[in-house]
Amino acid sequence: MQSRRQFILKGVKLVAAGAAAASVGPTVFVRGAGAADKQLKVLQWAHFVPAYDKWFDPWAKEWGSKRGVEVTVDHVGFADVVPRATAEVAAQSGHDVHMFIGLASAFEEHVIDLKDVSGTLEKKYGKPVELATRSTYNPLTQKQFALSDMWVPDPGNYHKKVWTDIGMPNGPVTYEDLVKAAPEIKKVAPQMQIPIGVGLSQDIDSNMAVRNMLWCHGGSIQDKDGNVVLNSPETLKALEYAKRLYSVGMTQAVLSWNAASNNQAFNAQETAYILNSISAYRTAQDNKLPVLDHYFFVPALKGPTGIQLASEHVMSGYVVWKFSKSQEIAKEFLVALIDASRESMLASKLYNFPSFYGAAADPNTPMSKKGESGAAWIAKQCNADPFGSQPGDKLSLLAKALPWSTNLGYPGFANPAEGEIFDTYVITDMFAKAATGALAPKDALAEASNRCKEIFGKWRKKGMVAGGSKDR
Amino acid sequence: MTTARVALAQPRIAAAETLSRRDRRLGKILLAPALAYIFLLVAVPFLLAVFLSLTNSSAGSLDFSFVGLQNFRNVVGNAVFLRALRNTFIFTFVSQLLVMVLGNILARALMKPFRGKLLVRFLILLPWAAPISLATLSWLWIFDSTFSVINWLLKVAGWLGPGQWYYWLGDPVLGMIAIITVHVWRMLPFSTVILLAGLTSIPKEVHEAADIDGAGPLAKTFQITLPMMLPILTVAVLFGVVFTFTDMSVVYLLTRGGPYNSTHVLASLAFQDGVLGGDVGRGASVAIFLVPLLVVMAVLMLRISRRAEVV
Repeated sequence: MQSRRQFILKGVKLVAAGAAAASVGPTVFVRGAGAADKQLKVLQWAHFVPAYDKWFDPWAKEWGSKRGVEVTVDHVGFADVVPRATAEVAAQSGHDVHMFIGLASAFEEHVIDLKDVSGTLEKKYGKPVELATRSTYNPLTQKQFALSDMWVPDPGNYHKKVWTDIGMPNGPVTYEDLVKAAPEIKKVAPQMQIPIGVGLSQDIDSNMAVRNMLWCHGGSIQDKDGNVVLNSPETLKALEYAKRLYSVGMTQAVLSWNAASNNQAFNAQETAYILNSISAYRTAQDNKLPVLDHYFFVPALKGPTGIQLASEHVMSGYVVWKFSKSQEIAKEFLVALIDASRESMLASKLYNFPSFYGAAADPNTPMSKKGESGAAWIAKQCNADPFGSQPGDKLSLLAKALPWSTNLGYPGFANPAEGEIFDTYVITDMFAKAATGALAPKDALAEASNRCKEIFGKWRKKGMVAGGSKDR
Repeated sequence: MTTARVALAQPRIAAAETLSRRDRRLGKILLAPALAYIFLLVAVPFLLAVFLSLTNSSAGSLDFSFVGLQNFRNVVGNAVFLRALRNTFIFTFVSQLLVMVLGNILARALMKPFRGKLLVRFLILLPWAAPISLATLSWLWIFDSTFSVINWLLKVAGWLGPGQWYYWLGDPVLGMIAIITVHVWRMLPFSTVILLAGLTSIPKEVHEAADIDGAGPLAKTFQITLPMMLPILTVAVLFGVVFTFTDMSVVYLLTRGGPYNSTHVLASLAFQDGVLGGDVGRGASVAIFLVPLLVVMAVLMLRISRRAEVV
């Protein structure tokens, strides 16, 4: 039998041994890692089209194995991309490459400048699409804080049978069409719960939908120079429009939607119009849903100003952390990813559109023709969908999506203030309050405008956002 | 003789002192892991949150400067914060009241012998054991604004007519009801088990004596059961209140604070502002806003509990 002294002594020895093992453990691990050539850790979102991840993960590993680099890919849900980045910055450790699907601008201080990589790619493929540049470059600090390999168009999805029954077989063209159509949809399809399924909730899709509405009525959060100009008659018109649309064509359901809700509602034929990328459509195809024959697309709607704009649905922004010990490998990886733009677009079933159109060009195309050649290849895929659309050109409008697609932060560049406004749902709340009558449109506008100015002011003090002299 | 006694007594005293010293040392060693745990995982993060609330720290930066009480001034003037503050109190007190009442009913029912009692106990404990994220996903479908199971059942039962529909997560009031329902479902097992333990610890003789004295069920409840259960009840309430005040999981998973930020509680608003929005200073000030109140509440409740024990 042990005495108490023996017991304690034994315990102390065990703890000491454990502590020693723990302190030696990481050393052994690090040495081992160093010995195994090079490593690259990539944090990637779980793609909305799961087939893409099945391509990406082995592709990344294969790329690594050819160069003696051990590539690890971790996936997180889209909602965890920012919290995960916050945690890794706080810990100053984690992945080498981090993919954002929205704005990475708030993390600018902690990422390396990718100007050299961008320069290399521009020499190889020509300039990226304008909205990619505006989402990944800060003109104030002149830093290329992220690199985009792809963006995603955000067309309108409409139920052709229902819209044909109300005499608009080609779907809506303007925002006013939605208001006109909603009562008619209720008559011809009374079983549909929500005639017009545009989200007004605290989610990513609603965030884009309300910006589209704002821009097409001539309003915006900031001007091109970074001044806060939300408080305008144009914004007020957009809010009054939202109120009219909500009263004739929507229900409280749209106030609670998450990113999947509009897909589910459309695929269950509970709504006749949603704003979404083609991921919902691919789900309908994969599951052979009854809605498939009626599933069609329209471009962004025009506002009363004639402006026709939609926010990109996803804008990839790859950053390389300053704390990464594999920065050069990370840069090579990003170049390789953009080299593989064709494979990426096909793997995502035409969900991803290359940010560098030239990277999708035919081999041996002269530099001056690369952009054009890439656009032609993209159009060819959309005009004859290799993934079984009926008719085959159902997605052809996507090839012409670039002129009506823009970046968050339009008409200026994306910046951390725009990112914070996006992530804290200031604009969706303004629209929801005005639409439902929770606040009068002008009061909802005043509340949101004050909050935007507060957020912009904070980031200006940090020297990361321009403007201020012409705030309204 | 006396000298010999003193001589014998001295080593005894010395041995007793040594033992006492050893006990104290052993006590410190045994307490050390718990203290280290509390210091590293509770005190340090809490002090860090207090510190951050006085700065303009943001998520993407390690640089910050002191802004004094500016973050607190900003949030106090914000309508969303004031709504979240009100919601926090409603959420906590309504859910705790329901948990205590329902827990009491369940605990009393579980004291009676009946067939399948073990199975019922297992089923009651299930919500406590299930991961909240999985459970809330199921509730998300139950309350879904488009496909709510409750609504379909009500429709089939004839309760909802054509065009009538409850938008559980799309309406501020129904949203709070949904949040409180899920939280009560989640907290009920813990409360039931604690109350059951309290009820079974009351000696039968006390009730028998009261019966002989002619006490009725109400008198027995208010003069015997409740006073004797007060210490355990206080601990259950204190735990429930503190846990509910600081919990964001149900709100975040169910409504994400919507519609239009109307169902936020302070914890979920702190997460939205501090982590998603990147304004760490503001998020920290929202998160620790109620700490003084919680401390006062905890001290008061522990005092009540102590007095009840003495009595």
